[in-house]
Amino acid sequence: MRCHSIVIALFMLVAAPVLSAQVADNGPEPIVVKSPHYGEVLFYFYQDDFVPAIVHLLAAQQQFQLDEHSQQAELLLGGLYLSYGHHLESAAIFERLLADNVAPDIRDRTWFFLAKIWHQRGYLLKAQTALDNISEMLPENLRQEARMLQAQIFIDGGQYNAAIALLQQWSGNTEWARYAQFNLGVALVRSGDVDAAASILDDLGKLNPYSEEMTSLRDKANLALGYSLLQDGQPLAAKEPLQRVRLEGPFSNKALLGMGWADAEIENYRRALVPWMELQGRDLLDSAVQESMLAIPYALAKLDSITQAADHYLNAIEAFYEETMRIDRTIAFIESGGYFEKFLDDNPLDSTGWYWRLEVLPDGPEARYLYHILATHEFQEGLKNYRDLSYLQRNLDDWQQSVEVYVNMLETRREAYFERLPRVEDALARADLEGLVDRKLEFDSLLNNVEQSNDWLALATVQEFRMWRAIAELANTPALAANIPEAVEVRDKIRLLKGVLQWRLERDFKDRLWRIRRNLRQTGEALVETQRSRRKIDDAMRKEPILFAKLSQRVYGLEPRIISMLNRVVDSMADQRMFLQAIAVGELQTQKQRLDIYTVQARFALAAIYDLAATAGEVSR
Amino acid sequence: MARRIFFSLGICFLFAFSAVMSAQALSAETDATLTATLESEAAEAELRNRFRAIDEDVQDLKKEVLDLNRDLFLLEEDLLFPANSQVAFFISMDIGEYFELDSVNIKIDGKEVANYLYTEREVGALMRGGVQRVHMANLKTGDHELTAVFTGKGPHTRDYRRGATMIFNKGIGAKYLELEITDRVRKQQPEFVIKEWE
Repeated sequence: MRCHSIVIALFMLVAAPVLSAQVADNGPEPIVVKSPHYGEVLFYFYQDDFVPAIVHLLAAQQQFQLDEHSQQAELLLGGLYLSYGHHLESAAIFERLLADNVAPDIRDRTWFFLAKIWHQRGYLLKAQTALDNISEMLPENLRQEARMLQAQIFIDGGQYNAAIALLQQWSGNTEWARYAQFNLGVALVRSGDVDAAASILDDLGKLNPYSEEMTSLRDKANLALGYSLLQDGQPLAAKEPLQRVRLEGPFSNKALLGMGWADAEIENYRRALVPWMELQGRDLLDSAVQESMLAIPYALAKLDSITQAADHYLNAIEAFYEETMRIDRTIAFIESGGYFEKFLDDNPLDSTGWYWRLEVLPDGPEARYLYHILATHEFQEGLKNYRDLSYLQRNLDDWQQSVEVYVNMLETRREAYFERLPRVEDALARADLEGLVDRKLEFDSLLNNVEQSNDWLALATVQEFRMWRAIAELANTPALAANIPEAVEVRDKIRLLKGVLQWRLERDFKDRLWRIRRNLRQTGEALVETQRSRRKIDDAMRKEPILFAKLSQRVYGLEPRIISMLNRVVDSMADQRMFLQAIAVGELQTQKQRLDIYTVQARFALAAIYDLAATAGEVSR
Repeated sequence: MARRIFFSLGICFLFAFSAVMSAQALSAETDATLTATLESEAAEAELRNRFRAIDEDVQDLKKEVLDLNRDLFLLEEDLLFPANSQVAFFISMDIGEYFELDSVNIKIDGKEVANYLYTEREVGALMRGGVQRVHMANLKTGDHELTAVFTGKGPHTRDYRRGATMIFNKGIGAKYLELEITDRVRKQQPEFVIKEWE
């Protein structure tokens, strides 16, 4: 079970605590997202893009955008940190939250995964504490793994007896029980109790395997037992378990070598040669094959085939020399630093964090020497860190470029602002807003007077007013004062015209008054809006320099942080690379030392043969 | 499963190595083997300690870089999309049985601003409850028209293209709009809804 599913389970259960039982039975319930920002974090999380998920979550928390999901968000953050391999921070969150908020089985599983990560990373005390936090709610398969982990922690801490006691309690017929049996057997061998170990390993060595994994375990058990018996001076007993190892398998070479030694121990050199000769055609990189190159001439010498033995020793010396040269070249390449760049070549942005594991070494002559360092925690975890650091480096490089752009952007904005400012200030100075407001108020007052005095003439149009004046002028014409019928007729017409005009003006008075009032109200609203805009402009003019200053402070403050962080990342990468290099070179040095020892032995044996031949020649002469 | 066996490699190597000598003097080598075992364990412990020291440093760095990323992310947002003009458009999916999303096209006031093609992984994340921020914009206060056109596979895996439009008002603060794809069970059809987050 991957830790990913734990992370999902963790926050699902916190998301819907009431439904937790249902969740356990029917699979995850959908989460009700109450904030798009939280949903956004989930969007990245569900794609295993842990870094963007963490960054969005941290940013949203800082802006108080996750108040609706505060507890879930915190727990999710713990899970994201765990997925990203940021285990110490993750544990700090879990320690704070797990006690009260999560179902015991989920809590136990989380502690288990933390224990596993901490053990892989060498934090033995922390791993032990995490294991101690597990209650009884761990599922059976994980409980067995947790017990094995406990035994491993005992061993790593040098507490062999505690490990043996724990492994001895194991019962049942499960795969875990078989592994426990094997580890117990080997632990007993290590502690010197070969007889007790033999019985356990022998039992395991006769196992009827039902899978490749169990077949492999059976081979290992037989091999370990065979060699422990050989070491204990029981060559005849050693042969049986060694013969049980498959002829074509990862342990066959060592088994064949051991078989030969078992026969050699009882001085049956002719028989010893059979498995050793079989090894001749196999890969020289295998230490068993290398050793067989010395064992064969050793047996031949014992069988008095001196010339053949000498030839084999010479071949061995030559082969070891060539192999040593190849190892030297590989060491030089690894020490040049280029080797570990290959591990970053296929480093897409999302393949960081705890799940990543290197399965196959990059192609190259080095791979054949180093394949078994892949099995070590230190190498795997070191590689994860190295890749994570490389990710951080690229991330910081990208930000550095972005910040440079932001600096330019900010400067351009600032220049544009200060260039426009005088024009704006000038325009603002010309706009007499207060005068406009006064005029509007005057209009209001005037209109009120017109309304109160029912001054319909005041609302006449220019045309109407001209007409009204023309009529008045006509009415005042002296000629019309005469009391003659023509004048009376004109006076009547003028009166009619005036009456019609007055009637129209009075008729339209209210409508006109309403329209003017409406226009005046709209003008007032526009004036208020203009005043508001003016306040905004004034506000912006006051705040903008402060905003520029604040943003500049942030931009310029972040740049040195990026640079300093980049330097630290580069240094840390160098440390991590040196560490990995030391493991790889150490492995190669071990292989080289073994070849050196074999070479010395071969030379020594060859010299002895030559001495023998020379002595025999002198005697015959 | 390899980690279930914690001795095998070392012990086999030690045994194999000692076997060379064993033909000559097996028992005499036991002490040497034990010494080698102890030395090897000490070396393992040393390696573990060295790794842990580096790892603690890496952990510190991770924390600091993540915090720095947060600060940079916030700065970027403040700089590019100030709160008073910021509008964010999100896409979400509720169930999504009647619609398999391929792409979305977004127009604001008739102008195309985003055209997003989805990967399988992204659609999976949306279906599980993730919400994608598909576009960020700076808009003036006032009314704006948002048009979103979704394309994909509808019921019976037929090509499907549907749009949704809404007029929204941009006030002074930041605005968040969510384009939600939901299932209308009664009609067995997808439904496209635009909603505003407070």
